[in-house]
Formats: sequence, C-alpha cells, structure tokens
Amino acid sequence: MLHSEPHLLALYALIVAITMVVQVGAAALTVGLPYLSSPRDEQKPLGTVPERLRRTVDNSVVALALVAPAVLLVETGGVAIPATVLAMQIFVLARIAFAVLYPLGIPYARTAVWALGFLATIFLYLIALTAPLR
Amino acid sequence: MTPELTALVLAALLQVVQLVLFSIPANLELGSDYTTSPRDGQPARKLSQGAARLQRALDNHFEGLILFTIACVAVTLSGKAGTLTAACAWAYLAARVAYIPAYYYGLSTWRSLIWAAGFFATLLMLLAALV
Repeated sequence: MLHSEPHLLALYALIVAITMVVQVGAAALTVGLPYLSSPRDEQKPLGTVPERLRRTVDNSVVALALVAPAVLLVETGGVAIPATVLAMQIFVLARIAFAVLYPLGIPYARTAVWALGFLATIFLYLIALTAPLR
Repeated sequence: MTPELTALVLAALLQVVQLVLFSIPANLELGSDYTTSPRDGQPARKLSQGAARLQRALDNHFEGLILFTIACVAVTLSGKAGTLTAACAWAYLAARVAYIPAYYYGLSTWRSLIWAAGFFATLLMLLAALV
C-alpha cells in the first residue's frame, strides 16, 4: 500500500487531517474550546506552539493541493514508474519531518525538508508532462 | 459517475456559492475601488461581522475541500467505493451546507460539531481508501 502513488497521497491527506486535530487540540489548551467554537470575531493569539501548528497546517494544505493534481496526472497519464513511487515516498517522509520540525521551531532543517517535498512534487509534474497526448 | 464524485462536484459548486455569498457583501462594504485594486494596504473600512464570518467559512471550506477531493478520488481509483463511502460523501456535503448558516449566525458548539461531522466523514473515506 505504500508502493503506489494514490495510496501515498491518501496517506498524506490523512496525516494533514491528523495535523489539523493536533493543532485544534494545542489551541484548545491555550485559548480554550469555548473560544475555538465561537465565531472568533475577535482574533486572539493562540500562543507560540499552536500558532506554529496553524502555520504547519496552512503549509501542509498548500503542499497537498499542489501534489494531488501531479499524482492524478501521473496515474491517469499512465506514466507511473518506480521513480514516481519513490518521489511520493520521499514527499510523505519530508512532509512528516516538516510537521515535526515546525512546531519544535527548528530552523534550516525545516526549510530543507520543505524543499525536498517541493522538489519531489516538481519531479512528479515533470514526469506527468511526458504522458502522451490523447 | 459514482455518488462520491457527484457529491464532490456538488461540494465544489457549493464553494462557488460560498464565494458569491462572501464577495457580494465584501464588495458592497469595501467598495469595488478597493476590491479591484491590488489591495496593497488595508481597506478603509473593516468587513462587517457577518461578511467576516462568511470569509472565514469560505477559507475553512477550501481546506475541507482539498481533503475531501483526495478522499473521493482515492476511494474511486482504488475501487473501495461502497455504501459507507457514499454515505460519508453525502454526510460531508450536508455538513458543509449546514456549516455556513452555523458560522453566519454564530451558533457556537454547533458549528464545531458540524465541522467535525464533515471532517470525520472525510477521514473515514481516506481510511477506507487505504485499508
């Protein structure tokens, strides 16, 4: 199951969903559930770690939105190769590392794993472009 | 078309409706001179409470929709679509429709519960695609 691009995509979507739950949980500890379930008309700072988690979620959602079309194009274009599976495996591992490093506030390494995930995405698009026109 | 993909198309159309629901009051309140400008500075007036809530509901659905899109496509491509995943897809759509008035009218707790219903429906679909 971890050897096909669509499965790895579904796995990453699951990881992003879990990151959202962790973010809400961390914010609940600092500002409380009543504020979170209110319409939040007044913005409250959530505290350092929940704010980092919020930025982690934002960044993860963007990464997910960018990689999903690439996986679909590779699959429907019939150009999946072992290297595209490897690229998705690298992508998922890099994004897991990102989601751990960001809340911990570790610089440079976070940027490096972000770049790794980004390059894996670009690679998938380049392979998708080799699909024959129909 | 599978029920999951029908729900997905309807969810995307719902997002179009949400965009319209937000952009009409936003343009009326901020003025089209501002909204069509590059928006380098902050607008002279702030959005009303209702329009700001509609904006947050719109932003929230973008996140939900990305996860839901992957869930629908993954269950369809992996051949795992079935009664459970179809029920989840319709539950997601219903939750996202209910989310808009719940946010607009400031129904605390209900909005979070409605959000959670849509979220866990998506989660179940992703799990169904994986196992």
